[in-house]
Amino acid sequence: MASTLLTSKHVAYIQSLDTKRDRLDYHLTSHLRLSGVYWGLTSLHLLNHPTALPRSETIDFVKSCYHPSSGGLGASPGHDPHLLYTLSGIQILATIDALDEIDGDKVVEYVSKLQNPDGSFSGDEWGEVDSRFVYCALSTLSLLGRLGDAPGVSAEGAVGFVLRCLNADGGFGMAPAAESHAGQIFTCVGALKIAGVFEKSLSEDQVNLLGDWLCERQLPNGGLNGRPEKLEDVCYSWWVLSSMAMIGKLQWIDREKLVEFILSCQDEENGGIADRKGDVADVFHTVFGVAGLSLLGYEGLKEVDPVYCMPKDVTDRIVWNHRKILTT
Amino acid sequence: MNPTPLYSYASDPAWADLLPLPQDDGQYPLAQIAYTEEYTEAMSYLRAIMAKNEHSPRVLQVTAHIIEMNPAHYTIWVYRAKTLFALSATGEVQLGRELEFLNDLALRHQKNYQIWNHRQTVVEAIAAAAAPAEQEQLVREEKEFMNRMFEQDGKNYHVWSYRQWLVRRFEAWDGELSFVSALLERDVRNNSAWNHRFFVVFGGGGMDARQQGEGEVVEEVVEREIAFIEDAVFIAPQNASAWNYLRGVLKKVHRPLSSVESMCLGYAPLDNPDKITSSHALDLLADIYAEKREEHGKAVKALELLAAKFDPIRANYWNYRVGLVKASV
Ligand SMILES: [Zn+2]
Repeated sequence: MASTLLTSKHVAYIQSLDTKRDRLDYHLTSHLRLSGVYWGLTSLHLLNHPTALPRSETIDFVKSCYHPSSGGLGASPGHDPHLLYTLSGIQILATIDALDEIDGDKVVEYVSKLQNPDGSFSGDEWGEVDSRFVYCALSTLSLLGRLGDAPGVSAEGAVGFVLRCLNADGGFGMAPAAESHAGQIFTCVGALKIAGVFEKSLSEDQVNLLGDWLCERQLPNGGLNGRPEKLEDVCYSWWVLSSMAMIGKLQWIDREKLVEFILSCQDEENGGIADRKGDVADVFHTVFGVAGLSLLGYEGLKEVDPVYCMPKDVTDRIVWNHRKILTT
Repeated sequence: MNPTPLYSYASDPAWADLLPLPQDDGQYPLAQIAYTEEYTEAMSYLRAIMAKNEHSPRVLQVTAHIIEMNPAHYTIWVYRAKTLFALSATGEVQLGRELEFLNDLALRHQKNYQIWNHRQTVVEAIAAAAAPAEQEQLVREEKEFMNRMFEQDGKNYHVWSYRQWLVRRFEAWDGELSFVSALLERDVRNNSAWNHRFFVVFGGGGMDARQQGEGEVVEEVVEREIAFIEDAVFIAPQNASAWNYLRGVLKKVHRPLSSVESMCLGYAPLDNPDKITSSHALDLLADIYAEKREEHGKAVKALELLAAKFDPIRANYWNYRVGLVKASV
């Protein structure tokens, strides 16, 4: 079992993903490709190999997913625009400092049209509602520097909806009264953080209860699950940990055991990280494993921003530093 | 391994008018390997039909075929739904048939959520045109189908979200309490079911039908819930869901935590640590004793037992709580 992070294997694994076009699973994952590129790119940046994917091809691919008529991005060329992939596209461009390659006004227009009267956001014109889409919307707007300047968007309404998703157990669900789930907690806490209202929205007791729920996700094997009585899974190393980092309770996790768990899920031969030991690796679990290790302070990794799941130097450059100037 | 597709659009006269549109993969030619053929052929015919913006019965055929292979392809679902509603408007398709298609699919693709999203739009459309009695029948059948889903996975997040939507949308609270009680009887550790129970009993719209004005819950309901929890904890003392539910109930009805002290002591006798069977009872006791200054010693003891013996992986958290108790003196 690997006791260190196999950085060069993971880099090679991510680089190989786009060369498997003759395989069925390549085609069967076209509906999430743009997110796949974001996961791969973010992994590479955190692994300190920021140029391992060709920059101009990456920009071209993002642009090929863009729908000029609506302003949204789809997962691949020919796929409908969706908030999930719009965020992924913007995250990619932000990370490689290429936001000027896309018409920001048009993207803002797309996002604003997806807000519902109750403050929630739909994922696409078809109307699916989920608290994670509030996160997608606010994250996209803030990366474009347009959070306070998005005509037709009510940040207050969005915050109100997120707070209605808060449960008695301290967690958040995908809709009001829906079961608490670590993935939804990440998006809800993230949305409140991006909107700049987290501290005034939750009392100290509520934050402690949430932290209690989150650290209860750690199982004796060191891994984290996403809900009570479910199995551990590497992606929750991100959803749970980033939430704990955002609320300042990271110290409640047994770091050593979690690091050991994540490392044990690496594919030692071909690179990549799987959901749990012995399963097939994929780029989704690779980025969340690497990002989790970064939050845990693992040596040699770049610092990740728990709110955006992007390199911290990138979000400092385009979001946080800018905000500091605004508020001082 | 060379599984030849049983069906080919190219050899079906119903599709002969279309020129299939292959995926534009830029500089990379699409390698034609046998087992990707079936999928890529269907996709190229769908692209051709979408390029014409055609909404005909054969759209349902090709989208069903692709969805079968790749149910997460959201663009296909949107196009299928548009076609479905166009055909339903002209009477060419019965929307009820779509639910049968979805039932079969959902049972085989448990993790997929597009199915449930689509189902919601279809049910909404059926309901819009239905008389009250037909709506009731529809809701009954939807609940029956969900029961089949829950038999396979009682924690399926998408199905639970759908159920909560359905219950709210159609005010279909009748029978929800007995339904969720039965699920918990089958698996008392099902956190999703506990969450649904909270939704049914306390969730806003007077669903329990025995709430007083201002959302105040009647005594009888509170007693019933506490008794239910006591039974559940008796079966599985180390079940976080039941203890979380207990805390939720007490908070909701503004009862002090100390009202359940004796129950907690049954599972966590502080003076006899060998007999402790629940870390959650210890946790609750720590909160109860932290509220009274003269009992802070007991609170610290409970927390130290958690850190040292009953939940050591979270020692940092328990030690933080010890710090809080000591600081509040
Ligand atoms: Zn996972």
